[in-house]
Amino acid sequence: MIGTEAVATTGSDAAASAPPNGTPVGVVGQMDPGALAGVFDAVPRAVWFAAVVAVAGVLLAFLLGTLTTRVLVRLGVPEAVEGTAFDRAARDFDTSTVHVIGSLVRLFVLGVTFLGVLAIANVTVAAGFWGRTVQFLPQLFFALLILIVGVVVGDKVQLVIGERLTGIKLPEVGVFPRLAKFTVFYIAVLIALSQLGVATLALVVLLAAYLFAVVFLGGLALSDLLTSAAAGSYLLLEQPYAIGDEIEIGDHRGIVQEVNLFVTHIEDDGEEFVVPNSTVFETGVVRVRE
Amino acid sequence: MSALSDLLDAVVSDVEAVLLFSPSSSHYRQFADADLREDLLVVAPENTVDAETYVELPLEFDNVRDRIRFGIEGALERGLVEAEDVVACSVRIFDGDPDSVVRVQVTESMRSGIYDLFANSRAEPGVIRDVFEVAIELGKKGQKGKPVGALFVVGDAGKVMNKSRPLSYNPFEKSHVHVGDPIVNVMLKEFSRLDGAFVVSDSGKIASAYRYLEPAAEGVDIPKGLGARHMAGAAITRDTNATAIVLSESDGLVRAFKGGGLILEIDPEEY
Repeated sequence: MIGTEAVATTGSDAAASAPPNGTPVGVVGQMDPGALAGVFDAVPRAVWFAAVVAVAGVLLAFLLGTLTTRVLVRLGVPEAVEGTAFDRAARDFDTSTVHVIGSLVRLFVLGVTFLGVLAIANVTVAAGFWGRTVQFLPQLFFALLILIVGVVVGDKVQLVIGERLTGIKLPEVGVFPRLAKFTVFYIAVLIALSQLGVATLALVVLLAAYLFAVVFLGGLALSDLLTSAAAGSYLLLEQPYAIGDEIEIGDHRGIVQEVNLFVTHIEDDGEEFVVPNSTVFETGVVRVRE
Repeated sequence: MSALSDLLDAVVSDVEAVLLFSPSSSHYRQFADADLREDLLVVAPENTVDAETYVELPLEFDNVRDRIRFGIEGALERGLVEAEDVVACSVRIFDGDPDSVVRVQVTESMRSGIYDLFANSRAEPGVIRDVFEVAIELGKKGQKGKPVGALFVVGDAGKVMNKSRPLSYNPFEKSHVHVGDPIVNVMLKEFSRLDGAFVVSDSGKIASAYRYLEPAAEGVDIPKGLGARHMAGAAITRDTNATAIVLSESDGLVRAFKGGGLILEIDPEEY
């Protein structure tokens, strides 16, 4: 619809710009301006203005849409989202995530242009309804965008965590990637809904409770690992003892075979002790130097 | 046409097991769904197809003979096949999908210890493979075009460190470089001009370079004609549970020692 408008305007623009070139030719040229001015006057000023805005809007829409697509491609988004369910679905429709977002930007700009044109041309078809729509449009656009980003990121998170956990041959481990995915989905939906102005207080409370449980219980479960990791980072940075040194941690005495973030391996006569790094800090280390 | 299928039938008749070398998942599914009478084994660097019986191939052997020997040896060690069995191997000789079927008679002499070198060493198999790859790379390119020698002692690093002494400052002190890190090839190439051994821990951390190994050398049985580097490497593996991987400067071969004996000898140019 807007497209036809654009074509019509470019056509009349060309006709309007013809006279200046044509004037020196002769009688026919002198006849034209009057006729054209008649046509020009016949249409109200506002409509001309609206037409120009329409052309500019359409151009801007396609430019921005293409630009968005290009920028996203340049940022490596297509590779990053490859394999996610959303991207695969998009590919089934012979498009891709990046192009979907590009078209969304294009549609948004076109929609704004369309409403702007209507406003300028003083089309007063149910002004109140249009007014509200205009206010609602950016919110709808961002809600959609957040939803798409959320779905893509959620899928990607599931893929990445799933890959990390492939080494663990345990059926129950499949819960974690899915849990992470739905958490991301939930947050995306929540942001999208609040963007649209839907009452989301209950959902937020639910999210808060869930996150609190994750953080609190996770912290409780991982506290030993975290203290070991903190101690381990000191050991790795400072290296108070290195591979080959003879040391004593608590009651375990032996030669250091390995130091990593969480544990220290010390070996003594074929017995290898795996000592958590937190113990190193609790009991201290004795370095044995004959 | 029937003559052609006869030809293939003769190859695969009366085999006890089928070894698929690095199959694609569709290729594997085809076999797995066919419900063969014979045992189905997958031999690959990684178990990408989730096969039930799987033998790890630590190096992507280019030489098909080596690849098959290694796969069968692994299966032997794991008790998946037995000596005197006849097996059919589906392998890839040229690029692309598996293109050949080879009939192999399994013999006891195929147990050369190569599989044992990777699977039952103290260090992780991936670490030994990475060190092999570094040594092979070094053997191929040399340093500035000149052949270099190098000695890597992998695993049991604590004991190795106690049976050696530094020749100079340890360039890897307070560094956390692991073999298999992308930067390692370049670093080791530069450090290979230093004398002495590289000591690598069980998990692949490079503990030290520039080490002078001081093991007791008696009772070490290695072929005559190998130099001091090989002797030192072999001897340290007898005193400790380490594996030594040695790149020879004179003949350019990569050799692996374990328990004081020569286990594996490969030519870098073939990889």
